Amino acid sequence: MSSAAKARDKEAASFRTRLFTAMMIVIATLTALGFYLAQRKVTADAERNLQQIFQTELSSLHQLEELRHAALADRCNVLAAKPRIHAAIEDNAIDLLYPSAKDELRDLMEGEELPPEQRAQWLPAKFYRFLDSTGAVIKPLNPYDVGELDATTEAQLALNKLPDTQQIGYIQENTQSGGETIDEVIAVPIFSTDTGDVISALVIGFKPLELEDKHSGMKSGIWVNGQLHLRALPGSTEASLNDKLAGELVNSDHGENYFRVEVGGAPQLLFYKRLNPASLFPPAYEVCVYPLSHSLAQLHRLRWQIGGAGALLLLGGFVASHLVALRLSVPVKKLALDSKEDRAQRKRAEAALASTTEELERSTRYSADASHQLKSPVTVFRIGLESLLAREDFKPEVYEQISALLHQTHRLTGVIDDLLLLSRMDAGHLQIASTPVDLSKVVDEWLDDLGALPDSPDVKIEKQFPSGLFVAGEKRYTSLIVQNLLENARKYNRPGGRIRVSGHGNSHNVMLTIGNTGRTIPRGENIFERFHHSSTPSAASGHGIGLNLARELARLHGGDLRLVRSENDWTEFEVRFPAVNGVNAVA
Amino acid sequence: MRLRGLLWLNAICSVFPVALFASAAVEGHVDLPKSHSAPVQAKRYEIVTKGGVLSTQPPLAVVYLDGAFPPSSSSPAKQVAQKDLTFVPLLLPVRVGTKVEFPNLDDTYHNIFSYSPAKRFDLGRYRPDERPIPTQVFDKPGLVILRCDIHEHMRGLILVLNTPYFVMTDTSGHFRLDGVPAGHYTLKAWIDSRTTREKSVELKSGETLHVDFQ
Repeated sequence: MSSAAKARDKEAASFRTRLFTAMMIVIATLTALGFYLAQRKVTADAERNLQQIFQTELSSLHQLEELRHAALADRCNVLAAKPRIHAAIEDNAIDLLYPSAKDELRDLMEGEELPPEQRAQWLPAKFYRFLDSTGAVIKPLNPYDVGELDATTEAQLALNKLPDTQQIGYIQENTQSGGETIDEVIAVPIFSTDTGDVISALVIGFKPLELEDKHSGMKSGIWVNGQLHLRALPGSTEASLNDKLAGELVNSDHGENYFRVEVGGAPQLLFYKRLNPASLFPPAYEVCVYPLSHSLAQLHRLRWQIGGAGALLLLGGFVASHLVALRLSVPVKKLALDSKEDRAQRKRAEAALASTTEELERSTRYSADASHQLKSPVTVFRIGLESLLAREDFKPEVYEQISALLHQTHRLTGVIDDLLLLSRMDAGHLQIASTPVDLSKVVDEWLDDLGALPDSPDVKIEKQFPSGLFVAGEKRYTSLIVQNLLENARKYNRPGGRIRVSGHGNSHNVMLTIGNTGRTIPRGENIFERFHHSSTPSAASGHGIGLNLARELARLHGGDLRLVRSENDWTEFEVRFPAVNGVNAVA
Repeated sequence: MRLRGLLWLNAICSVFPVALFASAAVEGHVDLPKSHSAPVQAKRYEIVTKGGVLSTQPPLAVVYLDGAFPPSSSSPAKQVAQKDLTFVPLLLPVRVGTKVEFPNLDDTYHNIFSYSPAKRFDLGRYRPDERPIPTQVFDKPGLVILRCDIHEHMRGLILVLNTPYFVMTDTSGHFRLDGVPAGHYTLKAWIDSRTTREKSVELKSGETLHVDFQ
């Protein structure tokens, strides 16, 4: 593999790496974002869910309580209607109050008369007490029948005044075994059937209704008198929760709320709700602690899922990016390659152009130099020959030879002139100083010269050329064109042949046609090429510049030179010159 | 009203023997609390409780001569009947030691009882045709509130007195107590369960003293 190919592969690889990195960043960001959103959703869902569970459980609890309260209210109304109770209270026979109520409230304490399904809700009362008209507890003579309570517990049952409505309270009972337990107490007013006044109140103590543990791990308790009673929790946790809850309850005037707590290092959601709003008893709150383990497990699962999805995506992305990079790198590679080749080609072309220009300039300069260098010796040579010809002491055949050499020097001078002119044209130095030139006159002059030439073959010259045809050009070059064409017509003619010169003009162009008999030019032969030599050997051959020079000059004038036909012993050239405006009246 | 007549007859009978030895009399007027209820149309009497105070409606008072009179061993029996789910009479003054019968004149059960400190008793449920008629002897002075365990609105009052000299005012508050012994006594007027007015009186034989309780 070449080093360029290696470099190209390296480029493609780095492109692939960049693509892959970008993909990885995008996927990682998406994964992180997805996880963040999912976590938020799961947390919010869990909180909402638990809140719903709490509310549902609490409301079912409240329904039970309502049942209990309604039943108690009925019971107390019945009780208040009892003449014996009235008699005991009103007739100052307090000692007979509890005995009188005993029969009425027996089922309350035992709960045996109720059907079993109701008994579950209607828990038997633990104790009951009557309040006197000041709200103080009327002490029973025989506490055994009405539920024994120690003095501290019993004192909590007293109210500031007799209530008009049912009051719910929670008290802390010191059990005989030395422990503490929470009792729910309901104070029900007893109205006089005579006057409608509240004459007493019955306070009944129950074991608090407990929330059904539908949610695994839920722990419920009651907060009353600044103390949390949540038996399911260890003492230290209970104490720390108690502090938090106390702070929360002080700061919040809501009857309910929830917040996050740590129990034994595990996050839990603690809900609380006032159990006895607007009660004469001290405020009490239902407190439920739900472990967030379910939502945490869900979150954990989700983390794996999202992480897995991210990894899969990353893997897919890797493969895809690999493929894409491969596919993309091919055109990229090609592009790199192409651009490299383009550059090289351009460089080569530029170099070629530079060298060509250089060569052109050099050749132009050389041809000019050569022309000048050649002309001086030829002149010296010709002058020498002419002086020799002027002598009279040579044999006649010597004169003939000298004369032939002199002729050749004339030819050489003509060639050199032509080369000089061509080199000037190639260098772009030749400019036409355009003036009206009488083409008819130029043709006449050259036809005269043609006849005067010493080696003129026997050709007949036909001239159909109107006089006074003017062309726009420079006379020396116009004349050179005509001379070249006429010389060729003579040179390539056959003995006994003819030359025909004709011309016509309009307001734009003047056409000069020169035809001659003799050997025709084979088809496909580029006779206008510089230094062209005929493919067919012939005695008469030029130096291969004349036609080329004539065409270049004609084009420089704004005209052209072309071969019209060359067949059947007839070759005809046509030169087009630009006409001089307004001069050639003849159409 | 045959029963009312009977009642008066009883009162006279109980007073009459004493009057044989003494000839003094007291008459006057007790200012009764204004009846707040509308004029009684059916002349139905009842015991009302207001702020824990029991009184008759319309108001009636019992005027009696307080003193240390020897207990009588032979006070004639009295009756407090239950008729139309009320006690008749609503208020019965009796001398200590008097036996009171509680005949049931209704077509339903009654269960007359009292938690009053002066007399706690419970007659139990009994039918109209219960024989013998349930009775109680009231041997301690004081106000006894009669209730029925079955009909919780029923109230009746028995005022147990130490004295044989007592009389009930009419609804306008007038009273006359005849045949009382001469001497220095305290005349009392029981108006309701919480209000008893009293006045010292000097009774002279053959004279009628006029006493007003304001």
